[in-house]
Amino acid sequence: MIQLYNVCKSYQKDSSSALHNLNLKIPKGDFVYITGPSGAGKSTLLKLLYCAEKPNRGQILVNGQNITRMGSRHIPYLRRRTGIVFQDFKLLENRTLFENVAFPLEIQGKKRYEISNKVYQTLKHVGLHGKLHKYPLQLSGGEQQRVAIARALVIDPLILLADEPTGNLDIDVTLDIFDLFKGANARGTTVLLATHNREMIRRFPRRVIALDQGKLVEDFTP
Amino acid sequence: MLDQTVYLCRRVLRNIRQSPVLCSAAIGTVAVALTILTFFALIVVNVQLLASHWSEDIQVVAYLDNAPQPTRLKEWRKLIEDMPEVARVTYVDSEEAMRRFSTRLGPDSDLLEGFDAEILPASLEISFKAEHRSRKAAEAVVARLKQNPDFSEFSYGQDWLERFESFLDMLRIGGGVLGVFLLFAALFIVGNTIKLTLYARRDELEIMSLVGATSLFIKTPFLLEGALHGAMGALIALGGSFALFQIFLQRGLASLLLVSGGGQVVFLAWHQQLLLIATGIILGLIGSILSLRKFVRI
Ligand SMILES: Nc1ncnc2c1ncn2[C@@H]1O[C@H](COP(=O)(O)OP(=O)(O)OP(=O)(O)O)[C@@H](O)[C@H]1O
Ligand SMILES: [Mg+2]
Repeated sequence: MIQLYNVCKSYQKDSSSALHNLNLKIPKGDFVYITGPSGAGKSTLLKLLYCAEKPNRGQILVNGQNITRMGSRHIPYLRRRTGIVFQDFKLLENRTLFENVAFPLEIQGKKRYEISNKVYQTLKHVGLHGKLHKYPLQLSGGEQQRVAIARALVIDPLILLADEPTGNLDIDVTLDIFDLFKGANARGTTVLLATHNREMIRRFPRRVIALDQGKLVEDFTP
Repeated sequence: MLDQTVYLCRRVLRNIRQSPVLCSAAIGTVAVALTILTFFALIVVNVQLLASHWSEDIQVVAYLDNAPQPTRLKEWRKLIEDMPEVARVTYVDSEEAMRRFSTRLGPDSDLLEGFDAEILPASLEISFKAEHRSRKAAEAVVARLKQNPDFSEFSYGQDWLERFESFLDMLRIGGGVLGVFLLFAALFIVGNTIKLTLYARRDELEIMSLVGATSLFIKTPFLLEGALHGAMGALIALGGSFALFQIFLQRGLASLLLVSGGGQVVFLAWHQQLLLIATGIILGLIGSILSLRKFVRI
């Protein structure tokens, strides 16, 4: 599903590279943790996968398509198959939960009734169907996180990329949210999860890719 | 398709609702710029109309020492009529000249009583084709006629018309420069207004692009919004300049016209009105295209 060959990325010309000569293969349906200390390059790796950044060197294949050679016209279509949960949620504060989650579907030009059905199902799945018409700032951090996840899942993505999805949530909320990722993975979505959270990895052991200063230091499958 | 159109309209309306102040600023700028522009254009158009009205009677009068033989007269007429600039040659004999003079004098015409018609010279009035109604053409014709000693004197008055025309040229150039300047100012302000609305919504733009919106999808409502601002500004300008026209121009120019005796003060013709609105729309579109280029990169 995802293949990286000798991928290098540095943000400024002569700064130390954020990713250095990275080689990876992630098969379809995998569940992968990306770990490492702050500044290791976890977010950078995810950004490369949704084309927010371009690598300086190397090739990246997603679903058989070389996204390093892809024209910028095609980027939107790659993103329509990729669910992204951002480190800072990126919810629209002046839209209701419903509108936030409906956003990716509206952009794809789906029919109105299809959208409301799907959005309702997804919000129900994350346990927020009672707050459809609330605004993000009226929610707790954990609830906002679940909205962000709902928005990523509503498109039935091939790949789910999540950056620190449980950043500073307590353990109960973390476990709830974690169930959502497991559920998506069980339905066939390939999940990449960047996290510091050792507790989560301990409770739900899966393949761990550890980065440090842009280099792959460990690739461990239990 | 219908769904998409409805959705697009909703997005445009939402944008406008979210930043009513910026919207009014953009519309206001377009309106002010186009009003001034239109006002100037109205002055130029009307004064030009006036000038063309006046220049219709530019003509050369060639005075004859003696009343000519009919055959000579015929020869001359043919000679002059064959000149490329000349539209018409009218022979005015002494009696006709006297008659005109006495009408011109009106109630004082009895002053002429006792005078013989012969004291006024006969003349040939030469009028010009529309495209040759200028001092240059008149001078060329006179130069050719001067070679014939039978013509004693020429008058082609209306020197002031030339001066008036150069004044009109100045007005046109000044108006053009001012117009270009105003259009650029409007473009700049509209562009910046849209940049501000884009800035206010940069999160939304970023998120749109991250969840897979194509660049056309992101841009279209802003382009429409720009065009809408332009169109509304132009409509207001149309109303505004019509009001100004009614209040100032019509009366002012009408009195000028009355002096010259003729013509009519006109507002923009319908196709010029359409042009004005099109200008507004294009202004808004270009303004948003320019600012979108900086904001929406994908
Ligand atoms: N936009 C950017 N411009 C310049 N340098 C950047 C940028 N984003 C990241 N970097 C640098 O790239 C390196 C890797 O950053 P990255 O965000 O990938 O780390 P991370 O593993 O996600 O860290 P954290 O756990 O703190 O989120 C860091 O040294 C960082 O300073
Ligand atoms: Mg990070």
